[in-house]
This record gives sequence, C-alpha cells and structure tokens, in this order.
Amino acid sequence: MLFRRFINDSLFSFINLTNLTVGFATFILLTQFIASMFSWDKHNENYERIYRVQLFQDQPENRVRHSSSITAALSRHELTKLPEIEKIVLMHDVGDNNKSGVFLSVDKKDQFLIRYGYYADQTVFDIFTFEFIEGVPQKALTEPFSVVLSRTVAQKLFPSGKALGKQIYGENKVVLTVSGVYEDMPEKSNWQPAFLIPMQSFTAFTGWSDYTENYWAYSFYTYVLLKPNADPANVDAQIHDALKDYRKEHYPYLRPMSMLYIKAYYQNDMLIALGLFSFIALLILVLSAINYINLQTANAITRFREIGIKKTLGFTKKQLWSQFILESVTLAFTGGVLGLILAHLMTPAFNRMIGINALTSIFSDWKLVLIMLGVSILTGFLSGIHPAFAISAFNPVTALKQKFIQEETNGITLKKILVTAQFSISLFLLIVSAIIYKQTAYMLTCDMGFESQNLLFANITTNGSGSFDALRQRLISHPEIADACQADYIPYILPGGNEMNWEGGDPEEKVFVRISHIGYDFVSTFQMNITTGRNFSREYPADLDKCLVNETAVRVFGWKDPIGKHIRTNNKNVEVIGVIRDYIVFSVHNPTEPHMYRLLPDSISTDKVYAVRYLPGHEKEAREIVRNEFERAFPLDAFEFRHIQSLIQNENAALAWQRLMKVSGFFALFSVIISSIGLFGLILFFSRHKMKEIGIRKVLGFSFTSLYYTMASSFIRLFIVSIFIAWPLSYFVYLYLPGAHKYGIQLGEFVLCTLITLAVAVATISYQIIKAVRTKAVEVLKDE
Amino acid sequence: MIRTVNLSKIFRTELVETTALREINFEVRKGEFIAIMGPSGCGKSTLLNILGLLDHSNSGEYYFDGIEVSRFTEKQCTMLRKGTMGFVFQSFNLIDDLNVFENVELPLIALSIPRSDRRKKVDAILERMQIGHRRDHYPRQLSGGQQQRVAVARALITNPKLILADEPTGNLDSHNGEQVMQLLEQLNAEGTTIVMVTHSLNHADRAHRVVNLFDGQILAERTDRIFEPQQLS
Repeated sequence: MLFRRFINDSLFSFINLTNLTVGFATFILLTQFIASMFSWDKHNENYERIYRVQLFQDQPENRVRHSSSITAALSRHELTKLPEIEKIVLMHDVGDNNKSGVFLSVDKKDQFLIRYGYYADQTVFDIFTFEFIEGVPQKALTEPFSVVLSRTVAQKLFPSGKALGKQIYGENKVVLTVSGVYEDMPEKSNWQPAFLIPMQSFTAFTGWSDYTENYWAYSFYTYVLLKPNADPANVDAQIHDALKDYRKEHYPYLRPMSMLYIKAYYQNDMLIALGLFSFIALLILVLSAINYINLQTANAITRFREIGIKKTLGFTKKQLWSQFILESVTLAFTGGVLGLILAHLMTPAFNRMIGINALTSIFSDWKLVLIMLGVSILTGFLSGIHPAFAISAFNPVTALKQKFIQEETNGITLKKILVTAQFSISLFLLIVSAIIYKQTAYMLTCDMGFESQNLLFANITTNGSGSFDALRQRLISHPEIADACQADYIPYILPGGNEMNWEGGDPEEKVFVRISHIGYDFVSTFQMNITTGRNFSREYPADLDKCLVNETAVRVFGWKDPIGKHIRTNNKNVEVIGVIRDYIVFSVHNPTEPHMYRLLPDSISTDKVYAVRYLPGHEKEAREIVRNEFERAFPLDAFEFRHIQSLIQNENAALAWQRLMKVSGFFALFSVIISSIGLFGLILFFSRHKMKEIGIRKVLGFSFTSLYYTMASSFIRLFIVSIFIAWPLSYFVYLYLPGAHKYGIQLGEFVLCTLITLAVAVATISYQIIKAVRTKAVEVLKDE
Repeated sequence: MIRTVNLSKIFRTELVETTALREINFEVRKGEFIAIMGPSGCGKSTLLNILGLLDHSNSGEYYFDGIEVSRFTEKQCTMLRKGTMGFVFQSFNLIDDLNVFENVELPLIALSIPRSDRRKKVDAILERMQIGHRRDHYPRQLSGGQQQRVAVARALITNPKLILADEPTGNLDSHNGEQVMQLLEQLNAEGTTIVMVTHSLNHADRAHRVVNLFDGQILAERTDRIFEPQQLS
C-alpha cells in the first residue's frame, strides 16, 4: 500500500526522499567532520595520559601568552621530582623547524632539506606510539650519533634497500648511524617528526653544554606520561611556581593531548568555528525536517477522499493517525538509510576535498549508524505529527465532498511559521556559509602588509664570511631580479623578543617587544611601507644604533610623534627613526605585537635568511640566477630557495582554516540544494491548496499577470519577514566569528545571498504557478 | 445568441476514449431560459463548460453573438468571458480565504473597475440578494443557501448577458433551492439569458425550453413556456 503510493506519486516521493537523504547525508558528514576534529592524536596508546608542559606568561602586553616551548632545566630538575609522572621526554628542534630544517645526505652530494627533525630522549618511544619498520624502539636512541628515520625520509635517502645500520651526513658536517625506521605518523597526529636524534648528542651538535641548567632559554619541548589515575591538577599545583626565581610571571602547566589540536593555547577560534558548524549541521537537519513536514502536509491535501472513505468505513481517528505516522516514519527511515549510504559514498570525496583522511568509513562505526537511524525515525515521527493530526481530524463528510483543505485560522499561523522558518533558515545558512567562506579565505589571502608573491627565500647557516652587499649587487645586476635582502627573521618566521621600557612610559612597566635584525633592503624587498620617518640608510653609519618600530609598538607606547623617541633594551637607549606599517608577522590567527627592527651589519655570517624578489613571470630564470650566485657565495653550505607562499600556506593554522573554508563551501552548496527542495515542496503545498482559487479566478476572467501576482505576493511577504530574521542573526555570527584579522563585511554579500534565495524561490513559485494557471479551470472546479 | 454546429468533444486517456458530446446542434436565443437535463455522465457539464469557454470542443463550430469562438485562444476566451458571462456552480466555488464582499468583488477587479465603483456595485447587489448583513463573513460561516446567493451575486455583478448555471440547486434543500430558482426567473424576466444544467424536473419546468442529453447527444427538446422575444421590449 505504502509502496503503491510511492510509485503513484513518484515526483513527490522523489523530492521528499531527496530532501531527507541529502539532509541526513550532510548532517552525517558534518557531525563526522566535527567529531574527527576532536579525535586527533588518538593513535597513541597512552592518549589519555599524555600531556605537554606549556607556559602561561602573565604579562599584559604579551599577546602570545601561551607557549609550548619551555626550558630544559624545568624538565630535567623540577618535573623529575613529581611522583605522578611516569615518564618525561625532553625534545628540541634539529636546526630551526620554524625557519627551514636541515640537510641530510648519504654521499654529501644529493642533499635533502628535511624539516621537523627533533632531538629526543629514549623515553619518547615509551610515551608516544611508534610503529617500527626497521630496528626496535627499545634501544633506538640510546647510542650517541644515532638517528631514527621516518619511512618517508628513509625512502628519500635509501630509495632501494634497508636503512638500518647505514650512515648519513647531517649538513655535511656530522655523521649519523641509522638505528631504526618508523612508519610515518598518521595524518591526524599533531606531532609529525621526520627523524629523531638522541638528546645526549645535543651538546655535541650545538655546542650548548649547560642547557640542562638553563632556566631562560625557551626552545625545548617536554611531554610527560602521567601514572594511571594520577591527577594532572596535582601536577599543575606543584609546578605552578617552578619558575618563580627566574621569571616571576611565567607559570608552567600541563595541557592534555586531547586539547592540543583544538585548543592548545586556550584560543577559542577553532572551538567557535566548530560550534558554529555543529549549529549549522543541526539547522540543516531542522530545515530538512521542516521541508518534510511541508511536503507531507502538501501531499496529505490530495488524500481527503481516501480519508473520507476510510472514516465512513469506520476507521477511528487514532487508526488514521497511526497510519500517517507509520507512513511518515517509514519514509524518514528510508531517507536515513539512503542518507547513510550517500554519506558513505561521499566520504572519499569529502576527504580529498579537505586534504586529509579525516573521516573514516561510515559503516565501520555501528554506533553512528544506530544513532543516525534513531535520528531519522525521530525526525519521521516528529515531522509526521502535524500532517497526521491535520488529516485525521478532518470531518468525513467535508473530506469526501471537498477536494481541498479548509483554511483554519490556527492552520494559517502554523503554516506561515513553517514557511517563514524555511525561508529564514535557508537564507541564514547561505549568508553564514558565505561569511565563513569569505573570512577563512580572507585569513589565507588578506593583505598581509607585504607582498608575498614573487619572493624566494632561503635560510643559510655558514662558517663563511664576506659582504652581503657585493652579493646583492651581483644579484640585482640581472634584469630578472628586482631586489634582495638579508635578515635574521622574515614574515611568518616568528622572532623572539625582549621586555623593554620606552620613552614616556612608566620605568617599572615593561612590554614584550619582538626583535628582528634587517638589512637596508628588507623593507623594499618585502614591499613594506614606512608610514613615518625613514628607512635605514647606507648614508647614515649611525643607523646601526638606531631602530625602526611597527605601528602597533607606537600605539602600545602611546607615542604621538614616534620619531626621535627612545626604547630601552639591554640597558641601552635606542632611537626610533621610522615606523613600518603593521604586517602579519606570524599568522593571520594572531594579533600583531609590538616589533622593533635593528640594522644588520653588512656581512655574511652564521645563520641568516636571504630573500630575493624577482620580476613576475621570471621565476625559472630567477631560480637559476639565485642558485648560481649563492653557490658562488656559499660554496660549502647546503641551501634551498623556496617561495614564501609555502611558509604561509603550511602554517598550521592556515591549514586548519583552509579545511574549514572548504567545508563551509560544502555547507553552502548543500544548504542551497536542500533549500531549493524545501521551497519546491512548500510552493507545491501552497499551489495545490490554491488550485481551486486559481480556477475560480480564471473563470472570472483574471489575467495571467494578476493571477501570478496574487499567488506570489503571499510568499514574497513571508520572504521579507524572513529577511528581517536572517540578516541580524547572520550579522551576529559575523561578530563572533574567530580571527584576529577580520574581513570587512559588506552589504552586498547579504543582498547577493538574499537574491540567490529569492531567485530559487521565484523560479519554483513561477514553475508551480504557471503549472497551476495552465491547468484548465474546469479540471480544478469539476464536481465529482 | 448561441448557436452550435456539429459540436463534438472527446476525452482521451492512455487507455480509453470517451465521447462526451456527439455533433450537438443547439441554439439559444437572447433572453431565453434553457434547462439541460440528462443522466449523470451524459455530457451536460461538458456542454456548459464549452458554452462558457472554459473548455474547447474537438470539432464543430460555436457561434457566440454571431462570432465563431470555438478556436479562440485562452486569452481571447478570457476577454470575451469577463463581463459577458456569469457562472453559478453546484458547489458554489467561493474562495475560502476571502469574505463575502471580496468574493463578489472579484469579477470587477478582473475588469479593472475602480475601487469606489466596485464598492457601490457590490453593496447594491448584496442588498438585492438579501445578504448585505453577511458581507464580512467567510464562506464557511454561511449556510448553503447563503453561499449560493453569494455565488449568484458574484455571477451578476458584471451585468452579464449570459448566466451559465451548473446544477445551482444541487447542494441546497428545497426551500433554498426554490429561492435560487426564483432569483434566476427574476433575472431572466429582466432580460438575462440563462442556461442551466439540472437534475430536477421541477426546476427544469420553469425554463422556456428543456434539452435532454443522453450519451452526448440531444435526444429531445421540449418547450414548456412559450418564449416571446418581443417580451423584452
């Protein structure tokens, strides 16, 4: 019987099932995506007991107040005393992972620049879960000058054959013996070590001997494994004041592994975004359900004869009610099953879209399947209540006689509410998706305050010496090269800083200011702007003792006229000669901090970043020139020039936001689809109801235009109401959207989204009205 | 006023072909009151719909005031229909969302008559139909007889030359049915041409002429009252 109905009204059933299927599938994918964001690092067997030791820096002007790097001394001395801690691992970057990495080779010739290598204690294998392909974890890091490689690095260095026991060169300077190879970390691992070197060789490589006694150098990482049932709050209490003799306002604490991806430093950005996504997922489900109610009620209108006959034959109201509820639940359940299948089929595409295998197979998670089927049954039941009541409560005589439902006052209100809700949710979803999309896109492509295109950079560590200016002259003598500079830090490589006093400020008050050393041509190479004063100049030798600051510094110091003012650092007063317009120093995620720039003397020495700007369209030639010139200047050192874009796009926050951006685009698409289906059903509902009126009006001689106007105007009125609901709500979302640098919202976006929704509405309305108007009046008015 | 020549209508579905009207030759003179009778499914309503330009014949000719209209486009039909013809249905066909006044007003809106004129005309006709006191009520708040009087008022509001009534008393009790019949007779006496489909012999007797339809064909015509066009003066 149910099946026969389905076949008989195939268009209607198709719309109805598509609505439910797409709605459920979208809901499933989104909830799965959100759940996957909370399931990072779970491959670690000790997941529940692993904590990272972090620092809270309680200084008012320090914007980046949490740090994941701490001092080695804290790890080696304070933590070892605590009974709650089972294992501790101390780690340090090999080279500077933030900047670049180190060169590894088998033969000193084929060099591979490898980022994310770490010095680590042997205990790293007790805390984290590693899967060894060669060797065993138990003694992999016990011998000095050993190295454990990830599969990727091992395959690069030894494309054919085993790596275990072989020797490799680090930066052509040291020899390491491969003591093991482990499988690459799963994608959903926050920590992705490329290779590991024993911590005991740290001094030998870096020449830093007393690091274990150092309470000031924040460049070490420490993870701990707590004993089962140990309370992290106890540990927190004991280490809270561990640094009080060194840095009064710095407080160490434990951060559980489960928080490291979502909210490592108490930044709510990701949580807000995911919360918003959950809300949207729920709205999509609600929208689907409202569509379903509208469609079911619309369909019910055509069934009055059936109801009339059944009632005459003695069916009770309750029996009819159960019949409709059963139909509703069956259809919704079918939608739920199809939704699961659709979500399952879309999972690979979804994973490809966001670039990681975030979602696992839908059907492997039987709990999810059960929950979703439950949700679909519930949706069917709740959505069925209204139509079932509306139909079964109908008077049999009227039901037999009338082809169309009689309007009832409260019916109008409920229907209007449903329609308005439908419009509002559709519009809201579309605008919010657009806002999220634009914000995430903005965070990735915004005006960064410098020109990031056509810019190559390399980090070179050298024992050599010489003049950089000479190298620069040779570089810019090529017409393809526009500019070149050296610096110790460049945008997206975050420099350290110091606490400083400033002229006019309270001598007791200090502010954390980041410090970069830049060459004369840093500002021009990066195409930054000097807003006040002047850049460093070769014509003023005294500039070596002067400095530039950024706009944020001027603002924080409260200076009206910054030129000639002084900053006190390292017991010296440094005069400000110019102000650089704020640019994004580290990530779009973080607010800009006060920044001070000192002049780098013209010499090639130790560890510097070199940046070269080439003319657009000449990348190939530029790379060639740069390689030749730098090989001439640094014959003994390995280097690799990269696009600065690669730094920006690989920044962790940027990656996460890219994913959110794509997912929000996905949302927008599906909310448009579901909204269209909903509108279609809605208008079907109305026009079926209005058929009689259209027929009568036609008989009375109304023209097409006036018929159209009569039918469409009631929708348009509700649509206008929904604008008043959706716009403020969307704006509210915009206000709470994460991101330190927010894009400027434009009225145009609201208008455009409204027009899109309106276009979908008008198209469907027109289709239905034209259909209704085309129908011969006699057909509609025919008495049985 | 109306003349049909070999008018035929066939309904086709995938499986069956039903002949609703078979070569109808039929004439209605100005001022006449015609009743069409016949068993269910004989084609009465189909004929009325074609006469009212709500439906088209498959073959044959239909002259309205001497003009061949059977091949008129929908737009032409609409133009001819409004203001010329009034319809009364068995099930009244009032619009549920509109009140009595608004229902009666509709044909005037279709004719683009200004609001103030509409108001005057509607008030006048409602008074005449003795339902002025119900002007703000909705159809579901009225009795069947009242609803039909509203429907008649709506049909009359444009002063049509022709009223097409499809079983106007079918849904009414004898008392209310009688009232509607008296109304139609009165209108006819004032000069309006009326074509009425009915099942009631009693009501058919009130017409000048009764046309009996059976299986889509005119079986017999019977003249009850002598129709004298000069009565019109």
